[in-house]
Amino acid sequence: MTQPDVVVIGAGILGASTAFHLAERGYRVVVLERGAPNREGSGTTAGNLHIQAIHTRRPGQEVPVDSARLLPLQRRASDHWSQIEERLDTDVELRRGGGFMVAETAAQEEELREKHEWERRAGIPTEVLTGDEARKQLPLLSDRVRAASWCPLDGYANPLLITPAYLAAARRLGAELHAFTPVTGIRRVGDDYKVLSGDRSWTAPVVVNTAGPWITEISALAGIHISMSPVAIQMHVTVRVPPVMHHLVQHIGEGMSVKQVSAGNLLIGGGWPAAELDMAGRSTISVPSMAGNLAQAGRILPFLGDLRLLRMWAGPLAATPDEMPVIGEVPGHRGFFVAGGTYAFTLAPVWGDTLGRQIAGEPPADPVDDLGPGRLLYDATAPVSP
Amino acid sequence: MADVMAESEADVAVVGGGPSGLHAALVLARGGLSVVLLDESDTLGGQYYKRRAEQLTAAFGDFRPRGTELIRQVRAAGVDCRTGTLVWGAEDAGRTLFTSDVHTGALGRMSTRATLAATGAYERSLPFPGWTLPGVVTPGFALHLATMDRVPVGSRVVLAGTGPFLLPVACALLEVGVRIEALVELNHPYRPSASVVGGALRQPARLAEAARYLLTLARHGVRVEQGARVLAAYGDTQVTAVDIAGADGSVRRVETDALCVGFGFRPSTELPRLLGCRTQADPTGTEQLPVVDGDGATSVDGLYVAGDCAGIAGVHAAGVRGQLAAHAILRRLAPEPAPMRVAGLRRRARALNRFAALADRLYPLPAMADIPDDTQVCRCEGVSAGQIRQAAATGWNDLHGTKAATRAGMGPCQGRECGHIVAALAGRGEAESFAARMPVRPLPMTATVEGQEVP
Repeated sequence: MTQPDVVVIGAGILGASTAFHLAERGYRVVVLERGAPNREGSGTTAGNLHIQAIHTRRPGQEVPVDSARLLPLQRRASDHWSQIEERLDTDVELRRGGGFMVAETAAQEEELREKHEWERRAGIPTEVLTGDEARKQLPLLSDRVRAASWCPLDGYANPLLITPAYLAAARRLGAELHAFTPVTGIRRVGDDYKVLSGDRSWTAPVVVNTAGPWITEISALAGIHISMSPVAIQMHVTVRVPPVMHHLVQHIGEGMSVKQVSAGNLLIGGGWPAAELDMAGRSTISVPSMAGNLAQAGRILPFLGDLRLLRMWAGPLAATPDEMPVIGEVPGHRGFFVAGGTYAFTLAPVWGDTLGRQIAGEPPADPVDDLGPGRLLYDATAPVSP
Repeated sequence: MADVMAESEADVAVVGGGPSGLHAALVLARGGLSVVLLDESDTLGGQYYKRRAEQLTAAFGDFRPRGTELIRQVRAAGVDCRTGTLVWGAEDAGRTLFTSDVHTGALGRMSTRATLAATGAYERSLPFPGWTLPGVVTPGFALHLATMDRVPVGSRVVLAGTGPFLLPVACALLEVGVRIEALVELNHPYRPSASVVGGALRQPARLAEAARYLLTLARHGVRVEQGARVLAAYGDTQVTAVDIAGADGSVRRVETDALCVGFGFRPSTELPRLLGCRTQADPTGTEQLPVVDGDGATSVDGLYVAGDCAGIAGVHAAGVRGQLAAHAILRRLAPEPAPMRVAGLRRRARALNRFAALADRLYPLPAMADIPDDTQVCRCEGVSAGQIRQAAATGWNDLHGTKAATRAGMGPCQGRECGHIVAALAGRGEAESFAARMPVRPLPMTATVEGQEVP
């Protein structure tokens, strides 16, 4: 298929979800991926389904997320995830065991209450528990937990399964996937875009750039200049143990997320920075981040101290300069769409659905105009400020 | 962070207290450098100079006294020997090493001016139907039981696989009263072609060693069946029988209570690979070896490798390589390096490398393509050869993608056991292997969790 309706660039979770939603609408879709699908941020992320407000900051994160803004989208994402295994007709180890976000100080507890108020307005069920009430539900929580917000909708899906599941479903609906096919050029040909990979090419009226940390690079091939601020973050996983915990546990202070996955391993993350972002290979993990993340997780869940750390890895996070997601058509470049930014894992079904509607000329289920790529455009010819 | 890890420093860290690390540490310490020798196990000696427990030494005598003497010299030379210390990570070209006390989990960070990885090798296991049954073990494990504990691994044993190592193991088993039901060598190394014999004749000492073993076996009426292999092992709770295919293609069933099967050794290269040193495929085409110069210097400035970690060549090469690497480090770091004659060592290393290359030709590995689809390859996660082949056949998975799709290599052994097999079954042509990552061994989290900062 050299003349599809849509060319999707990047086979991470956003590209895969978009391909699925478009194929489901009857579009002929080609997905181009520079390496193996799901190899980068989508395959290295924690797999958390964040339905209660994202209020934690990655250690080192300078700009806070506008947490309240994202809540309607998380509410929508929650509904999508509930149906996802049925819709994709496969097991993605989806679990909705609910999640705690814990506070250790009075100030943090106050933040929990503020957050709870936003959630109530957005229609997301949460409650603020005392430390003892939280420990009653999850006795593994330490005495240092002073309060915790509880959301029954928080959960987990296996990041190694969901993207392949989206891609498989899209292919069943006629989409084509070309792995190990790096895009080397994008040309305007009449009203269409001609997307090149070496001497191969695909021509389509619509291009979707879901290239994650490479969004800037891919857009530039089409003469579009989008600022991204990719970082590398790291994950830690313990050896397998029998089931002890079916909740997601987060901290409202600094980044921390802990859960036990279906295989039995405990996954510990929270966006701690890796030593170095390596866009050409694998990013290197940071030992101070490991020590910080594990110490913090062990303070809240002391049983972790009895386990062994099995692996660590780092992967890219396609953050934007304002830490908010980016989605929509690029102003002045009809047919060129971009989707990316933080919390893409949780929001992937929403973004796939949103792009499907936008490309079909329908309004999205929730307004996203303020999240469009226009705000990230810059003039590539202007002198760089110091 | 600082309060979590005990800091220490030395001119040189030698990782691995086997023959290579011991020889290197001795040369380095005598050359005037401060040397820390780290080993995961509680005693020095590595696999070859393994130490017997005190009571067993009293009862059965010292095991390989040359090792006892070497360890004594190393301690006398002032080497800081840290046994029971796992090196689980490294950065900064090996000038920072992360350690863990294997008993308490206490963490340490060591700063060095140079690091020598002398981390040795693993035994190579290859999957076949029944290989995960209790009673199916590696030859090295059987040897350990026989030599360290004087315990026979079984009463009627089948020994199989390929490689010169099968001979000393067979002799050690006989010594502890094992009846060897069959000694099955995949290749035909003991009636080699003239060209190969020519190479071997330049190594009379090694040939005499092999001849001695063969003589012992003959005296006990044990015949080496060449060109034969184990097809499958059977049993409910324990191996009770194996099928052996002879060189002529005939298959016979042999009753047994222990099957020892191994296909030589694989270099333990996690540390140098973790530090990003340049690698190349080893002669089997299934392992990535650090690229080194004649003295063991890698492409990472200040990082050296010696012993089997630099390519399987056995104990004699390990000692020579350790000394060569130590001299290279001395030339680099010692305040006033004494003039040293390394030409003889280098000659010896080259000769031993040639002998190792000869062994590679005599004992080639079987084709991985022969592993049946329903045979388990990753025993930690229970993944079969067929599942790995199927994931690879999608065309969009590289080795890492195949791992992600199947969980092969994600278990507690971190892919050490099955990584080379998964790569052979799933690789996309180019030499691939699972990336080396910290921690290179599962790391107790006690210390990281206790060493918490309070906000």
